[in-house]
Amino acid sequence: MTDAAIANPLRDPKETFRRYTIFGVCAVFLLVIGKDIIIDETDWARMGTLAEMVKTALFFVPEWSFFPQTVGPLLETLLIALWGTILAVTVSVPIAYLAARNITPFPVLTYPLGRGLIILSRSTHEIIFALIYVSALGLGPLPGILALATRSLGFLAKTTAEAIENADPGPIEAIEATGANRLMVFCFGVIPQIFPIFVGNVIFQMDINIRRASILGLVGGGGIGLMFAEVMQNLYYGRAGMIVVGITAMVVVGEFISNRVRQRLI
Amino acid sequence: MALLEISQLKKTYGTGEYALKGVDVSVEAQEVVALLGLSGSGKSTLLRCVNRLVEPDSGQVVLDGVDIPSLGKSALRDARRTMGMIFQEFNLIDRLTVLENVLAGTLGVTGTLRGIFRAFHGDDIQRAIELCERVGIIYHIRKRADQLSGGQRQRVGIARALMQRPKILLVDEPTSSLDPKIGREVMDLLQEITKEAHIPMLVSVHDIFLAKNYSDRIVGLQAGEKIFDQPTSSVEADSFDQIYHEAS
Repeated sequence: MTDAAIANPLRDPKETFRRYTIFGVCAVFLLVIGKDIIIDETDWARMGTLAEMVKTALFFVPEWSFFPQTVGPLLETLLIALWGTILAVTVSVPIAYLAARNITPFPVLTYPLGRGLIILSRSTHEIIFALIYVSALGLGPLPGILALATRSLGFLAKTTAEAIENADPGPIEAIEATGANRLMVFCFGVIPQIFPIFVGNVIFQMDINIRRASILGLVGGGGIGLMFAEVMQNLYYGRAGMIVVGITAMVVVGEFISNRVRQRLI
Repeated sequence: MALLEISQLKKTYGTGEYALKGVDVSVEAQEVVALLGLSGSGKSTLLRCVNRLVEPDSGQVVLDGVDIPSLGKSALRDARRTMGMIFQEFNLIDRLTVLENVLAGTLGVTGTLRGIFRAFHGDDIQRAIELCERVGIIYHIRKRADQLSGGQRQRVGIARALMQRPKILLVDEPTSSLDPKIGREVMDLLQEITKEAHIPMLVSVHDIFLAKNYSDRIVGLQAGEKIFDQPTSSVEADSFDQIYHEAS
């Protein structure tokens, strides 16, 4: 054993063998499952030959004259994202307050409540929220806004609660020592410390929400997604291509703006 | 009767550590009492038990006739307003300006709505500016607190505590995070101001020089117990060795 250790000082040969065996077994397992799910359950005939695939792809070349009609829905999508984010920000602050172990008011009740709401928000996809809201409120932007808000508040509340838990207790102590009430301690002792992280995350969510808003329309949430669903159903593939280009442009503009805002605020 | 009367104060932390094992300390009006001891002797715990940033297990803390440990939340806030605290790590709000930090001393009395929008009263602002001038940071009042040096930050801390018009100052190792020369300047400032305004101080230090030069009375703490309580003038140089040697 000693000789083997000197010969290969970096790694115990038994350990190496064990490791590679595990990798090998996993790899074989994945390949077998892959064949089952991917290869056997795909209708390869439907794709056609290479020439047919290229021909189908060409259908999506953008119909540029359709552009003016996409502007309205694209703006609506941006606004849905904006309002969804604003609503999420508003609701996430009290939830973060409940979910932060160091300042939650009644730990046994409010901490699990806060964390529970966060988990609910983060574990469900926004499309599902949108479907729920659309069935309650009908088609249009409002269900889209609510769906985005419900989805975003989890991330915002979680990161904010973590920032609160990691806040330096010193300034919090100092404000408590002046005889200030809980709210003042929070406003002066906690908020200034977490502000940069909070703003960064809000900008990040706004960015993501623009992309999410684009597809919520597919299930009735308003904006460009609704238009996309319509043109696909009516087989106007050129228009669909145009919409994709429009969405891409909108996302790029959104990223540009969010970078500038981030630089200014933080 | 002393302004601050601490009797049989006991505190044990959850981990089983005995931080305070029944300590008696009193501070007369206009007196400066130094709490001298090594790290871990219980000085910080004692100070924080006075304004209940740390809850004592048992014992009395009577400030101006009021027993602090028995107060409810709202009455405790009122009591805290009368006690100014100065911290070893300064504990300023980094993102706010010096002036806003000093004004934070009024948060015990500034209304909630005013506080949220930082719309402090005009007289408070005026007084804050005067205090900044008194402690020597008037040229920095618009700077963010995190742009200041250590000595400047502690001056802001002093101004903030004084904004409260406190009955007593609780000072926790004010110079331990500063270099010696700056530390002495800060102690000089504290001494001047408290003598001018007739405010008593309970100061914790681990430096003999500071205890000897800036206090009227020295209380020695070791491992949570009081081992020494004499007027500074009557203390000989070798008594200090006694305090420190007991530790080993």
